[in-house]
Amino acid sequence: MPDPVVVTGLGVVTPLGTGKAAFARNLFDGRSGIRPISAFDTARFPSRLGAEAQGFNPKDHISIKNRRRMDRLSLMATASARMALEDAGLTITAANRDRVGIILGVAFGSTDVAARFMETLFTEGPRLVNPILVPNTVMNAPAGHAAIEIGFRGINATVNHREASAETALAYAAAEIRNGRADVMLAGGADIFSAFFFEILTHFKALSPGKGEDEEARPFDRRRNGFVVGEGAGVVCLESLTHARQRGATPYCEIGGWGLSSSPAPPTDWPDDSRGPVRAMQRALQGAGLAPGQVDYVSASANGAVRLDRLEAEALSGLFGPLPDGPRIGSVKGALGESFSSGGVRSAAMALSLRDGLLPPTLGLDTPLAPLNFVRGRPQAHPLTCGLVNGFSSGGTFVSLLMKRQA
Amino acid sequence: MESRRVVITGLGTVNAVARTAPAFAAALQAGRCGIGPITVFDTTGFPTRTGGEIRDFSPHETIPEALYGKRMSRSDVMAMAAALEALQDAGLLPLPGDLREETGVAVGGGAGGMLEGEAAFRRHLQGKAAAVRFSAFSAFCCASSADHIVSKLNLGGPKTTFMTACSSGATALGYARDLIRDGQARVMIAGGAEPLARTTYAAFNALKAVDPHYCKPFDRHRAGMSLGEGAGMMVLESLAHALARGARIHGELLGYGISCDANHMTAPDHEASGAVRCMRAALEDAGVAPSRVDYINAHGTATPANDRMETVGIKQVFGERAYAIPVSSTKSMTGHTLGAAGAIEAVAAVLAITGGFIPPTIHLTTPDPDCDLDYVTEGARRTELAIVLSNSFAFGGNNTSVVIGRYRTENRDHA
Repeated sequence: MPDPVVVTGLGVVTPLGTGKAAFARNLFDGRSGIRPISAFDTARFPSRLGAEAQGFNPKDHISIKNRRRMDRLSLMATASARMALEDAGLTITAANRDRVGIILGVAFGSTDVAARFMETLFTEGPRLVNPILVPNTVMNAPAGHAAIEIGFRGINATVNHREASAETALAYAAAEIRNGRADVMLAGGADIFSAFFFEILTHFKALSPGKGEDEEARPFDRRRNGFVVGEGAGVVCLESLTHARQRGATPYCEIGGWGLSSSPAPPTDWPDDSRGPVRAMQRALQGAGLAPGQVDYVSASANGAVRLDRLEAEALSGLFGPLPDGPRIGSVKGALGESFSSGGVRSAAMALSLRDGLLPPTLGLDTPLAPLNFVRGRPQAHPLTCGLVNGFSSGGTFVSLLMKRQA
Repeated sequence: MESRRVVITGLGTVNAVARTAPAFAAALQAGRCGIGPITVFDTTGFPTRTGGEIRDFSPHETIPEALYGKRMSRSDVMAMAAALEALQDAGLLPLPGDLREETGVAVGGGAGGMLEGEAAFRRHLQGKAAAVRFSAFSAFCCASSADHIVSKLNLGGPKTTFMTACSSGATALGYARDLIRDGQARVMIAGGAEPLARTTYAAFNALKAVDPHYCKPFDRHRAGMSLGEGAGMMVLESLAHALARGARIHGELLGYGISCDANHMTAPDHEASGAVRCMRAALEDAGVAPSRVDYINAHGTATPANDRMETVGIKQVFGERAYAIPVSSTKSMTGHTLGAAGAIEAVAAVLAITGGFIPPTIHLTTPDPDCDLDYVTEGARRTELAIVLSNSFAFGGNNTSVVIGRYRTENRDHA
């Protein structure tokens, strides 16, 4: 048996608070992070809601020297990486820094910085663009900034594949630990939204209320009409069980397996059949040597989008059967919105659920679209040993992570 | 052991000097320069005008109508063209039905559909919201290349896109190798794609990193890079799988290494610490002693800082032997293709092994005392190669090196 890959630290910046304590308190109280957007005027848009990160003060986490060079995305990602390391009880030293790395998922990056750069380029000309902006226009800026600020020099990579970015990053990082290329890997994702990005999402008709009436995030609900945009960063600290034990760390849980698959679909749409997502979950279970009946809880990718939620419900029904005693199923996106590279935050939530035996309710879910065992209404106390975190993206990319309690 | 060894059975590329891998081999041997005036967008007002452009690039000549998606960006078309060539070369076109769900795609990207997104953004700035084809913005996400390949070829395996700036393509290759070794896929189509675009061209010009004429890697008078465009793709599979289906094997992807400078977002580390750790990690992963490396395909961007730093790093890794190892920058021919560079250069490394030659560094006429290795300046050199190291160093301090070996039937014993 390979040395298990365990989660030993959590760092989050979310619409339900910054840091695992505030996040856990609000999430498991069933609170929502969705409110009218404060960062820009939404009067000209049909949608006005968003889930903006709360309680985040970069000064609490990042040195003044590097703070000035980072945009909001890199600040949130770097702060999450630092909190995850602190939570794991790890300090970066000259002795360990080359064996500590980071793999982040970034789906859309700093769209505001890119838009500012391009606005100058196309209104004032190429000679007047601001070189200071350039480093923060690239998707790998957050991981690069985090490495500079915190000082780890091992594996460093950025996955840029829509809503599956962070789950892919977590699977890759877990594989790097298992393959012995690193002692400690930070993994997760970060995305933010800007007025420019909000406008694009509006034109794609992705946001609630779409053609519907009420603007709300309603994962898996019959009345769902689009998602509410969110933002945030989530990073977990991964290491081998042996490495964790040697330094006396207590893991939250284990990443027991991961499955990656795809299906034909246009880049901004979803496939018609659920074979792809089923295959991702099956591969995650196979990797952990578990059967579908052993899954207690699924943290779903569903966000209130008409096609995604139906696809995922079909996949879950197909894999687990439409049984009321199947695994509990929930989506935190009713509370957090769709933050694209959400897998880091959602894996942190799963780690807390596995440790504390609590499940967050799927906010906005009143009339389920399928007879699945949804967690809704109120938080549930439910001891669990095994959960799946699904990261499904438009364009037909599917990742499923199996997380389980340490035996 | 056969299941742990990952081999290269298909190659594909489009770039400024070639539309296919065999043509690329010929261009590399001839030392052809693909850098010239950029025509894909209007360079009026830019401080420089040149780049490694693929001239007269038409999707309809490059890929069959049935595999052409309406919303494909220039970058997507390049990726698709290279992927199809690689599959054809591997004898996997059409792909057998039982392989579809076990075949995945990993692409390293950069600007993605930026060229098309820019046009939409300009209309957006002019307030012509109704005229903006907002679908063009979807191409900003460079994931669309992998999405199109999976969709058009009806695949079902792992799919992902990396964006680690100039090391994206190399990272995608290494990741794909891991997926095969770890049993997550039987066949991977992996590489990178990058278009020339106004935004990246403006960005590198703003950083004063672009040579106004053509790049001169390792030359004393080097004045920056020439940006390029293109795609490089490989078909990777386990040796056992390749042998079982009787595939022709071009070479072996022996290993890769990733490191981070953790020093500066855009400037290379003068002491080359990140580059050294990256090259060493790749050699260790490959189980190859530094003494066995026959050729180094350098990152060699022709910025003053990179070429000095890379030379320092090679000396640290290889010691006195550094002076005896040929080092060349094929960017002198193709330009720097950013997210595709690591993949196109890995294709060059395989072609060098199978063709028995070392590609030259062209435009290097005045030696730099700080760059005193053997940069293969006299033209392509005929020689047998067993092991090639290819370097990609990027913004963000993201370094990736890959090690490619000549295919040998015996169990791996390169050390």
